[in-house]
Amino acid sequence: MSCKETESLVADYLDSSLPASQRRILEQHMQQCEHCRSELAAAQKVSAHLLQWRQQQVPQWNRIPETLRHARHTRSWSWFAWWQWAPVAVSLVLVLAIFTNVQLTQTQDGFVIAFGANRTVDAMDGSVIAEQLARFEVQQRLRQDQEFQALAARMEERQDASNIRLMETVISQMSDSTARSLDQVLAYFEAIREQDMQILQSTYQQLVDSDYETIRSVQQLASYVQYQP
Amino acid sequence: MSLADQDEVLIGAALEGSARAWERLVKRYEGRVYNFSLRLTGNQTDALDLMQEVFLGVYRNLHRFRGDSLFTTWLFRIAHNKAVDMNRCRRLFMQQDQPGGNADGDDADPYDRVVSNDPRQDPAVVLIEEQGNSVISRHLESLSWDQRLIVELKVFQSHTFEEIAELQDIPANTAKTRFYTALRKLKSILEQDHVM
Repeated sequence: MSCKETESLVADYLDSSLPASQRRILEQHMQQCEHCRSELAAAQKVSAHLLQWRQQQVPQWNRIPETLRHARHTRSWSWFAWWQWAPVAVSLVLVLAIFTNVQLTQTQDGFVIAFGANRTVDAMDGSVIAEQLARFEVQQRLRQDQEFQALAARMEERQDASNIRLMETVISQMSDSTARSLDQVLAYFEAIREQDMQILQSTYQQLVDSDYETIRSVQQLASYVQYQP
Repeated sequence: MSLADQDEVLIGAALEGSARAWERLVKRYEGRVYNFSLRLTGNQTDALDLMQEVFLGVYRNLHRFRGDSLFTTWLFRIAHNKAVDMNRCRRLFMQQDQPGGNADGDDADPYDRVVSNDPRQDPAVVLIEEQGNSVISRHLESLSWDQRLIVELKVFQSHTFEEIAELQDIPANTAKTRFYTALRKLKSILEQDHVM
């Protein structure tokens, strides 16, 4: 059985602005008219399906219009103009410090600034330097181990949280996903984890390389200083 | 929301040339506008273009916003008009819409797109969410432009038929008929896809 007003009635029923009195009349009609009732149920199902839309993140884009960007640059120019000389000034001070052989040493009385020849280094015994370097190396190794442990713990924590979130989403979307897409997701998931481990290993290796580089540089510097007259 | 964060305050500051205030205002609404655009255009490139057009339109007309209505109402009126303009241009200068594409139009690997899009989220999770959206997007693309727009306004933006009639300059009964026809079409597609 078909109702001539179904179209308008269903649309009205889905309109949130419909007054309560008219809604009651519509509900009474729906109870009596099977066609309208089934059409309304279908319309509600379609709406519910559409509302499963998940808000998607906005990709990176340029939010500031050209005119506003220009205004901002103009305003910040005076600040920049004043500060742009800062690196030059710092460089000059450093060059001056090197030419005048400035020495900053820490003694029991505090910091001492000296200009000219460096008596402290001359007086230092080679064995003392070697001993200090060895101590430095031990400290560095200890620090590396600690940093690596912390890095690994953070990584593990992040992966756990990520796994839980992924599985929750997979479960919630299970009804919509095909077996093939799930296989793809799982394969991708494995690839990402493997990539993460490679990043972790390379980061650690860089950390170690960087520290050995530092130690070697200090050793070269120390041997150079020892050979100075 | 603090006083300094209210739309009116941000609008005032943006009008005085504060890029920071403008950026905060945009960030507040860009998600809604982007998803609106994505559902209407069915692909990321056009959605981004439409979103940029919308915010450019908002920026150019910001001095005209008097606060008579909510800022979101005003913003989505501009979004609606820009969407209509974009569709008109498309019809004039490009081929007819090709229905049946996925959410991003191209055959590009969805993994690549997800990874490059949003490094803030777990890519696998984003992928699953987008798969759900691409199904809905495919269903929406089976509708004509007018039907898609009315479904967007009614279902996602929760406009009343009176508001839609005013926005589109059509009688309310036409809006109702168009909406009902769109739902019936979607229903038959969902039945074919065994979703219903």
